[in-house]
Amino acid sequence: MRHKYDKVLFTHKAEGSLPQLIIAENENLQSKFIVQKVLELREQGLPLDDIVVLFRSSFLSFDLEIELMKSNIPFVKYGGFKFIETAHVKDMIAYLRVLENPRDAVAWNRILLLLEGVGPRTAEKVIDDILQHRAPLPSEPSAHTFWHEYHSYPDRVKELFEVLKPLVYDRYPPGEKVARLITYYHPMFKDKYDDYPKRKKDLEMFEQISARYKDISTFLADITLEPPNESIVDITSPGSENEHLVLSTIHSAKGLEWHSVFVIYALDGRFPSFHAVGNVDEMEEERRLMYVACTRAKENLFITYPINIYDRETGMVLSKPSRFLEGLDEKLLEPWVIDEE
Amino acid sequence: MKKYTIKKPAGELHLVHPQRFQIDYKNELNPAQYDAVTSLNGPHLVIAGAGTGKTRTIVYRVAYLVELGVKPEHILLLTFTRKAAQEMLRRAAILLDYRCEKVSGGTFHSFANNILRKHALLIGYDRSYTILDQGDAEDVINLIRTRMKLDTKERRFPKKETLYDLYSRSVNTLTSVEKLLNTDYPHYVELEEDIGKVHSTYTQYKKEHNLMDYDDLLLNMVKLLSEHQPVRTELSERYKYIMVDEYQDTNKLQAEIVRLLAFKHQNIMVVGDDSQSIYSFRGATIRNILEFPEEFPDCTIIKLQENYRSTQAILNVANEILKRALY
Repeated sequence: MRHKYDKVLFTHKAEGSLPQLIIAENENLQSKFIVQKVLELREQGLPLDDIVVLFRSSFLSFDLEIELMKSNIPFVKYGGFKFIETAHVKDMIAYLRVLENPRDAVAWNRILLLLEGVGPRTAEKVIDDILQHRAPLPSEPSAHTFWHEYHSYPDRVKELFEVLKPLVYDRYPPGEKVARLITYYHPMFKDKYDDYPKRKKDLEMFEQISARYKDISTFLADITLEPPNESIVDITSPGSENEHLVLSTIHSAKGLEWHSVFVIYALDGRFPSFHAVGNVDEMEEERRLMYVACTRAKENLFITYPINIYDRETGMVLSKPSRFLEGLDEKLLEPWVIDEE
Repeated sequence: MKKYTIKKPAGELHLVHPQRFQIDYKNELNPAQYDAVTSLNGPHLVIAGAGTGKTRTIVYRVAYLVELGVKPEHILLLTFTRKAAQEMLRRAAILLDYRCEKVSGGTFHSFANNILRKHALLIGYDRSYTILDQGDAEDVINLIRTRMKLDTKERRFPKKETLYDLYSRSVNTLTSVEKLLNTDYPHYVELEEDIGKVHSTYTQYKKEHNLMDYDDLLLNMVKLLSEHQPVRTELSERYKYIMVDEYQDTNKLQAEIVRLLAFKHQNIMVVGDDSQSIYSFRGATIRNILEFPEEFPDCTIIKLQENYRSTQAILNVANEILKRALY
């Protein structure tokens, strides 16, 4: 059985400065080091966008995020929630889905429950009625009857049908349909989310994207299969400048490159994570992750690890560098320590 | 009456004489890239190390095929994200001309969706089916789990996320739920029967409501291609040149789709880097790229190793990390 294809990467670029392996006495010192080093690079004229901080798992950057905010360094983080996974965007998608496929009970359930006075029971009744009497077969339900017979339903549901009915026909382009739905949805949206002003930007973006499409079916397929960028709500950036330091999980950094790369928490027990120990395949995948992280760098590579980290699960104190780096020739990877003033 | 038949041209290639190419492939590419770009027929595996100009190679190959006279709609480019395909085709169009943007490109899921819309009836769906994302799928599973009253005080039943993960990996890795339970959730092995029941109810629910989750798109695509020979033939004849990017992150169903689509001609080029295979938690398997030469015994392997991104000092560390691999 083949285990890998041998390869040795080479370049005609200059040798460059040595990558560094930096030990920090605790987690916060690691964060402070990153902050100071980022500011130094910035002062040397390197835009923040050309710098990335990479980590094995999303939670490993929390302490750093706080330090960055304290120092007013704007940053974006990748590898968190996606636009499409936010509740308000899912609400919008559900409206569009019932227009496409009136048998979509999942979507019906979502939008019925948004209505005031409609609970799980009523929703179920309405859905049962839709499925049994009005869209019984998985063939094209007749638009004529389906979208017109709703007078036995509770008032709020009737209202919903009145909004949806005209949208079933192709007369309106997708952007227009979405705009109308947003107007209808707005009062419920305001009720449901305390932070609705922030979330509103997502809906605006949703409308904008939909306007680029000729039909809802393609729009829906694209947005469910290829979610657009992260939600605006989920991007934490204290500054308002357009320039941002990038924080990313290694998985989300796939295929990308930066002038300067920091890999944090290269600590054995975190990277590789303890969970991989004892499973050769998982361990090798962790090694490949380290390889992917290092090969994102064009000019500078700084690998850091904090020591004296208590691991709750095992009761151990973690203090060793990642086994993928330990014992690497100092002529390849230069060891550094941090000294505090 | 006697009949004189004009033969169909055997291939569409070489309509353009290489000396008349608009693009100077030889000078704009390094030797390994040039080799990959100009290799046409039969299976090819391109091992593209990090930063070795993989995208550039694919872009030039699209342009090369189009310049040779292959119709853009006969070329299929499958990528990890749709953006990646769009970007590559856009670059090819800038390099050569607008024809390159007519190449069919996208992810396995979007490609499957396009094909399935047309042939939905063959697999028992209506064309208006909608797609469930992971959250929706978990909600449906939860609904079934609650209706069947499986979670009791005396007996803990797996959560919706666990069930979804189990079913999804079972589909994507073509492994039975039973086997996955044994390796990953041994404490739930005794619930196997009920876990199986929820799975079949979930499958039925989706069909009844004209819904597909992500995995169904791939699964139904395999079903369509393997059970409906005319469709398979039609598609294989349409997509005469197939390219797959990031092959190290494909799963078993995707490899199966590739195999079925290429069955008429075997003109398949997969590009990837086994050292960058990092998505096994999503059902991807490094075995696809490692076993490609066994799956396609006539395959030619081309390695791209010249890096254009990093300094040698950085590459030395990267090479060393790989060298110390356990196997």
